[in-house]
Amino acid sequence: MSKERHKHILSFSITSLLRRKGKNLSIFLIYTLMVFLLGSVVFFVSAIKREAATTLKGAPDIVVQQIRAGRHDLIPTEYMEKVRTIRGVTKVIPRVWGYYFDGPTQSNYTIIGMDGESYEAFRDRIPFLSPEEAPIGNGKVLIGKGIARSRGLKRGGHFYLLRSDGGLKTFEVSGIFSGRSSLLTHDLIVMSEKDVRELFLIPARYSIDLAVYVRNKEEIETIARKIGEVLPGTRAVIKEQITKSYETVFGWRSGLVFTALLGTVLAFAILSWDKATGLSADERKEIGILKALGWRIEDILEMKFWEGLTISLTAFLAGIILAYIHIFFFGSYLVAPAIKGWSVLYPPFNLNPYMDAGEVFMVFFITVVPYTVATLIPVWRSSTIDPDEVIRGI
Amino acid sequence: MIELKDVTKVYYKGTPKEVKAVDGISLEIAKGEMVVLKGPSGSGKTTLLTLIGCLSRPTRGRVLVAGKDTSRLQEPFLTFHRRMHVGFVFQQYHLIPDISVYENILLPLYPLDMTSQEMEERVEDALRKLRIKGKEAYRAKDLSGGEQQRVAIARALVTDPEIILADEPTANLDTHLSRDFLKIMDGLKEEGKTIVIASHDPLVYEHKGVDRVIEMRDGRLVGCS
Amino acid sequence: MGRLKHLLAVYGILSLLLAGMVLHAILSTHAAKSVLEERERLVSMLGLTDLCLTTEARYTRHPSQADYFTPFQDNPMSLELFPSGGAMAPPSFKEIPRKMVVKDE
Repeated sequence: MSKERHKHILSFSITSLLRRKGKNLSIFLIYTLMVFLLGSVVFFVSAIKREAATTLKGAPDIVVQQIRAGRHDLIPTEYMEKVRTIRGVTKVIPRVWGYYFDGPTQSNYTIIGMDGESYEAFRDRIPFLSPEEAPIGNGKVLIGKGIARSRGLKRGGHFYLLRSDGGLKTFEVSGIFSGRSSLLTHDLIVMSEKDVRELFLIPARYSIDLAVYVRNKEEIETIARKIGEVLPGTRAVIKEQITKSYETVFGWRSGLVFTALLGTVLAFAILSWDKATGLSADERKEIGILKALGWRIEDILEMKFWEGLTISLTAFLAGIILAYIHIFFFGSYLVAPAIKGWSVLYPPFNLNPYMDAGEVFMVFFITVVPYTVATLIPVWRSSTIDPDEVIRGI
Repeated sequence: MIELKDVTKVYYKGTPKEVKAVDGISLEIAKGEMVVLKGPSGSGKTTLLTLIGCLSRPTRGRVLVAGKDTSRLQEPFLTFHRRMHVGFVFQQYHLIPDISVYENILLPLYPLDMTSQEMEERVEDALRKLRIKGKEAYRAKDLSGGEQQRVAIARALVTDPEIILADEPTANLDTHLSRDFLKIMDGLKEEGKTIVIASHDPLVYEHKGVDRVIEMRDGRLVGCS
Repeated sequence: MGRLKHLLAVYGILSLLLAGMVLHAILSTHAAKSVLEERERLVSMLGLTDLCLTTEARYTRHPSQADYFTPFQDNPMSLELFPSGGAMAPPSFKEIPRKMVVKDE
C-alpha cells in the first residue's frame, strides 16, 4: 500500500467528520472535558506527592510519641537519653510544639518551639528569611504568611495569643517567611521553646515528642522497633509511614474526585456505547454505498479509525494541555479544594510543574483507546455483510 | 462477459420471511451488449443486477463476471473484482447527500492508490462527459433528480469499468430526462461498455439502442426478445 | 486535500503546545531547585514532618499526631465513631475581641 491511499482516506474521514458537525463537536467537547478533569487530578496529585517527597527528605527519621490511655501524651524529656544509647542513632531532639485554635479567625496555627542551641546553628542563614529578620526568644517570633495576612500583621507588629490558663501572652513579629515557603510555613509560628512552654503550660521535664535522626536509613525500622522495646509506652512513627499516609490520603481523595467525575465518565461511556452498538441507519447505508463503490473492509475501517482517532487525539491533546495550564498556571482552581481538603488558612502555593509520562499515558490509554475501538466494532460488523443487504437494510 | 448458471438467491433464509428473489436463472451477456431486464416490481430484477454487480453472492449457482466465478470468491476478492469491472447506478442514486458533487464522484477512487492529480483528471473527465461541470461544489442533496442521476452515473464511470449496471434509472425522471439518460447509455455502448438496465419503463425497453430485452417474473426468466 | 492540511496544522499547533508544556515542566523543575533545597533546609531546621496543605484536618498537617482512627472519621462515607464527637463544638470565643492586633508600632 502506498501513502496515497491513506492520505485520501484520511482526507475523506475529515470531510466526513465535518459533515456531522453538531454531533462530533459535542463528542469532542465532552471528551476534552473528561481528559481535562482526569488530567487535572493526575497532574495535581503527582505534583503534590512529589513535592511532599522532596521537601520532607530532611524530616526526622523517627518521631517517638508517648501513648497514654490510647492517646498521645507529653513525653518525659529524659527518655531521650535512652534513645540516644541505641546504636545507629545520631541525634535526638525533644520537640516542643503544638496547635493553637484561633477563635477570631476561626483557624488553626501550628506553633513550633526551638531551643536556643539548635536555633543558633541556623541563625545566620534561616531559609526564606533575611538574617536581620531572624531573632526569636522573649516573645519575638517568626510567622508564616497566612497568619500575617489573616491578622494584618507586619514585621515589628504585636499580637496576643490565649494561654492555656486563660491569660494573654504578647508576641512581637520579628520575621515573616516568604511566600515561596507557604507549602511549609503558611500556618506556622516559630518561637523559643521557653515561650511555647509558657503558652501551653508544658511542664519543664516534658516534651511533646522526640525527633530521632538515624545514620543508616536502612536501619530506621530496626531502630524504631528497638525504641519500642526500650520504651514500652511509646509509639515510633517513621518517616516512611508519613510519606505513605500522604500517598493514601491523596490516593483516596483523588479517588473521591474520580467518583465525583463518574457522571462525566458515564455520560462519555454511554456516548461511546451508543456509537458502539448502534450505527445510525444513515451510517450503515453509507458503509454499504462505499462498499458498493469498491471500498474494501479495511478501507472503511481505516476511514472510521481516522475519524475516531482524529476526535480522540485532538480532544486528548487539548484536554491535557488545558489541564496543565489549569494546574500549574491557574493554581488548580477547580480540583484543589477537593483534593487538598477543607481549610481556613488555605496555603496559596504554586506547585512545581511535574509530569509523569506513565500517568499521562494512563490517561491516554483509558480515554483514547476504548473510544477508538468502540467506533470500530460496529463498522466492522456491518462492513462484513454484503453491501446489497446493508443498503437495502435487510 | 457475463454468465449466470442456474443462479438462485434466497433472502431471510431459514426464517418465516424467506423469499426466493431469483430462482434458477441461466443467462449470458456478451461484451458491448446493451440488455434490459424487464418485469414488474418484485420480479427479481434488482436482485439479479446486484448478483451481476458482485454486490451480493448467489445462494446457489454460479455467476461469472469478466471470466471469473464470483460466487465462491471471498469477500475481499469480491470487492476487488467489483471495483475493477463494475459501475453501478442505483435506483435512488445513493449519493452521500451532504458532501459535494465533486467528493461524491471521487469516492470510488479513494481506495485505488492514485495520485491526487490523476484523481482530479478523472473527475473532471466524468463531469464533462455528464455535462455537470459548474455543479461540482454543490452538495448532492441540493441538486434536482436528473442532476443527481448524472452525478450517480459519473460516479459509476469514474473508475472506467467495463460493465455498467443501472437499476430503474428512469423511475424518477420525466420523458425528456429519460431520453437524455438513454443518449448517455448509447454513448457508453459506442465506447464498448457492456450495459445492463433493470427497468419496466417502455421508453427504456423500446429504445432502439437496446440489443435484447429479458423479461422476468417471480424470479424466473419468462421471455427474451 | 486542503482539509488534510488544516488537520495537520491543528496537530502542529497542539504538539507545539505539548512540547512547550514539557519544556516548561523541565525548565521550572530546574528553576525550582534552589527553592526546594531551601525548603529542605527549613524542614531539617524546624524538624517538620508535614506539609501545610490544610490546617484543619489533624492527619493532613500532622499525620504523625493522628490517632489510628482519625483519618477514617473524615471520610465522607463514615459514620461518626464516637457520639461525643457529634456533640462537641469548639469553645465560644465571643468574649474575645475580633481584632487581635493591639500594639502596632
